Formats: sequence, C-alpha cells, structure tokens
Amino acid sequence: MRIPRRVLWRVYWRSLFLQAAWNPQGMQNLGLAYALYPALEVLYPDEAARSEALRRHLTVFNTHPYVAASILGGVLHHERRIARGEEPPDRVVAFKAALMGPLAALGDGFFWLSLRPAVGAACAGLVPWLGGWAALLFVVLYNAVHLVLRARFYRMGLLLGDGVLAALGAERLPVWGTRLRHVAAACAGGLAAGLAAQFGAQQPGAGGPLLGAGCLLLGGVGYWAVGRRLPHNVLLFLAAGLAVAAGAFL
Amino acid sequence: MTVDLGQLAVAFAWGGFCAVERRGFLQAMLSRPLVGGTVMGLLLGDVQAGLYVGLLFELYHLGAASLGASRPENDTLAATAGAAFAASLARSNGAPSVPALWSLGVLACGGLGLLGRAVERQLERHARALAGKAEASAEAGELRRAVRQNLFGLWPFFVAFGALTALGSLAGQLAAPWERSLPLPLLRGLAWAYPAMASVAAAIAVRGANDRRGHLYAAGAAGVVAVAAAVGFWRAAS
Repeated sequence: MRIPRRVLWRVYWRSLFLQAAWNPQGMQNLGLAYALYPALEVLYPDEAARSEALRRHLTVFNTHPYVAASILGGVLHHERRIARGEEPPDRVVAFKAALMGPLAALGDGFFWLSLRPAVGAACAGLVPWLGGWAALLFVVLYNAVHLVLRARFYRMGLLLGDGVLAALGAERLPVWGTRLRHVAAACAGGLAAGLAAQFGAQQPGAGGPLLGAGCLLLGGVGYWAVGRRLPHNVLLFLAAGLAVAAGAFL
Repeated sequence: MTVDLGQLAVAFAWGGFCAVERRGFLQAMLSRPLVGGTVMGLLLGDVQAGLYVGLLFELYHLGAASLGASRPENDTLAATAGAAFAASLARSNGAPSVPALWSLGVLACGGLGLLGRAVERQLERHARALAGKAEASAEAGELRRAVRQNLFGLWPFFVAFGALTALGSLAGQLAAPWERSLPLPLLRGLAWAYPAMASVAAAIAVRGANDRRGHLYAAGAAGVVAVAAAVGFWRAAS
C-alpha cells in the first residue's frame, strides 16, 4: 500500500498544527491524530480498521513540535507495514513511546535552548545598525534552519522508521547547540555594552559617560543577582527605579 | 478624549494571531518579542517603539522555554501589549517615539507575562474538553469530527490574547493625558531607565543562554564593544 505524495505533503502541513489543542491529559494527541488522518484514510479503506488505527493515536503523545516530524514520518512508515499485515499494531505504539522522550530532549536542547537564543541575541544585537530589519532577519535565519530540518526529519522518519534515532544522532545537534549557546552569550554581552554606549552618547554633558558606565555596572550586578535567584521582574523594576532616580536628580 | 477603535482592532488582530502562532500553529517565531513587538509597532504607526520594547523583552525572556508540560511566562503577550501601549501613547500625544515612552511600555506590561501564563492554563481546560469530545466521536465512528476538534483549540487563544493586547493599546491611549503632565526630570529618568533595564535584561539573557562559560563570552564581547565605543568618543572629541 503506497501513500501518494500529495497525501504525504498534506500530513506534513497538518503537522504544523500539532499543538493546536495541547491539553494536560493527552498533550499533543489530538494534533497527532489530526495530522495522520489523511494518510489513515488511504491506508485503511475499511471504516472499522481506520477507527482502530485512529484510536491508537489518541493516546498520550508529547515531544518537541519540530522533531515530532520524524516521529510522524516513522508512524507512517509503521502504519504502512501494519496495513500490509507485515507487523502487529503494537509496534507503532512502542515506536512512539520509545522515541518521544529522547527526541523531546534533543529538540528542546537544540531549538529552544540553543538556536532560538543565539539567533534572538544576534539579531537583537544588530538592532542599532539594522533597525526593524533585524526582526525580519530573525525570522529568515531561524526558519532557514527550522523549516529545512523539520522537512528533513519527516523524510528521515518515512524512510528509516526505527532507524530514525540513529540518523538523528548523526546530525550532531548537541555539538551545534553548545556552539550556538556561546554565540547567544557573546551577543547579549556585546549588546548590553552597545546600548549603554549608544544611550550614553545621546546624553549631553557629563551625564553621558556616567549613564553608560552605570548601565554596564547594573548589567554586572544583574548577572550576579540572577545567579542569587533574585526574581527577574524584581530586578527589572529595581533597575528602572534606580535609573529614574538618577535621571531625575543628576 | 476619544478612543481610536482602529488601533484597538489592529492590536486585537495581531495579538491574537501571535498567540495562535506561538502556541498552536507553525511556531516560526513570528510571535517572538523582537518580531511580534516590531510588527505591532509597524501596524500602529511607530516601528521604533515596537522594536525597542520587543528588543528588551527578547533579551529578558531569551532563555525561557516550554519544556515538557512546563510553561514559561508569556513573552509574546508582554511584548505585543507593551509595544501597543507605547505606540498608542505616542500617537495619542502626537509625540515622537522616545526612550521614556518605551520604558513606560515595558513597565506597564512587564507583568503581563505572568498573567498570560495563567490564562494559558485556564484555556488548557477547554482543550481537555475537546480531547474528551474527540475520543467520544471516535468511539461513535465519527472520525472526521474527532480529528477536527484539534483546530477548535485555536480560537480561544486568538480571542483571549487578542483582547488582552487590545487592552494594552487602550491603556496607552488612556495614559496619554497623564504622560503629558509628568514633570521633565521624571521623563528624563524614564529615558535613563530604558538602557538600565536593557542592561539587566542582557544579564538575564547571558544567564539564560545556559552556557557554563557564557559569562566569559559575554564579558569579552562587552569589553570589545566598550573599548571600541570609548575610542570612537575619544576620536570624536579630539
């Protein structure tokens, strides 16, 4: 039983809605069932078999939404075999259960904790030069990686089935993640100094250098205070209060 | 004073779209503070306000992530509502976009991140009901109806967060006469507050980068930029 290319693309498109009805009970289960349904219609013309197939994907499912594309591809790989009678239905359930945890950790570590902060900090650092175009650059750079990898993960899952985990391991995402975290930290530090200099230069008289130096000092104190677990919002309001007092009386 | 309903409608639409994009569809980072805030500023006629409010919230929330079932503060609501507040305030006063207004936007809407998270939790109850309905439909053999429930999870986010963002714009419009009456030293202090908060947000971002040697990279980059700026000032002065 083959799934037409058009249906495979439809499943990929619908996977972009994976978290639309995220809920504490089944988590991404509704999104997974929604994405898979066009393929299940092709694989199981019989209503009862299709219903059974759909219900096995309405159980708890939760992973990283981008890397989920590889599980989705792998599920289709297994469902094709199940429809042909080459393997029992519990194989696909075991496949999902085995992969969703490790792939969630992989996706969270790379996309949420490395790529996003790095691209965000780098583009924020370019705001003084690019202005509003920095926001557009953020979207382009991030999605150049995100959308390409998402499609690639889906294809890997479709072709490799159980072998997808080993293939994802070969992508060396954690190594890239570490490098990207260095970039994020450096850009944030550079931006803090850049903004302090920019605002200091705009301030007439002796107040300018004072403002710039004070901001940098606040950044250093802020770094220390965050390490001491002072709530971030308290820190932000304290900094604002100090600056308002200084600006009003100096 | 008159309320600009067009601004409220625009803030509602973009705030609602960002909430859906952040939570349930695509997640291409259109809802990140830097992007969502800038577009909000653009739509309300003040790109600078949106850009700089978004920039600060981008740094402030840089390391926050939704891991598993955990929910971080809602950075999108804080940024889009803060940008709407600052842009609407500037437009109502017919004043140029200045750092004092950006600071007001950040201070007025910084706490909305926590409110946004609480609202998300409430809306998850609706999604749980949808999951129950989907299971019942699947049992009854209505498979298309079962899977369609997934899309019904989006609209409450659009409405709730669109309304909260529009409230940000409304608050900005209502605060305009009050802002005009602020004494000059206080406005100067508010202008200073922006880079001070940005420095602290950058420090939070360095911690949020989850890099053991992040402080070294950050200090190195800050040192290079500070020296370059000092040389630039010295050359300009001489």
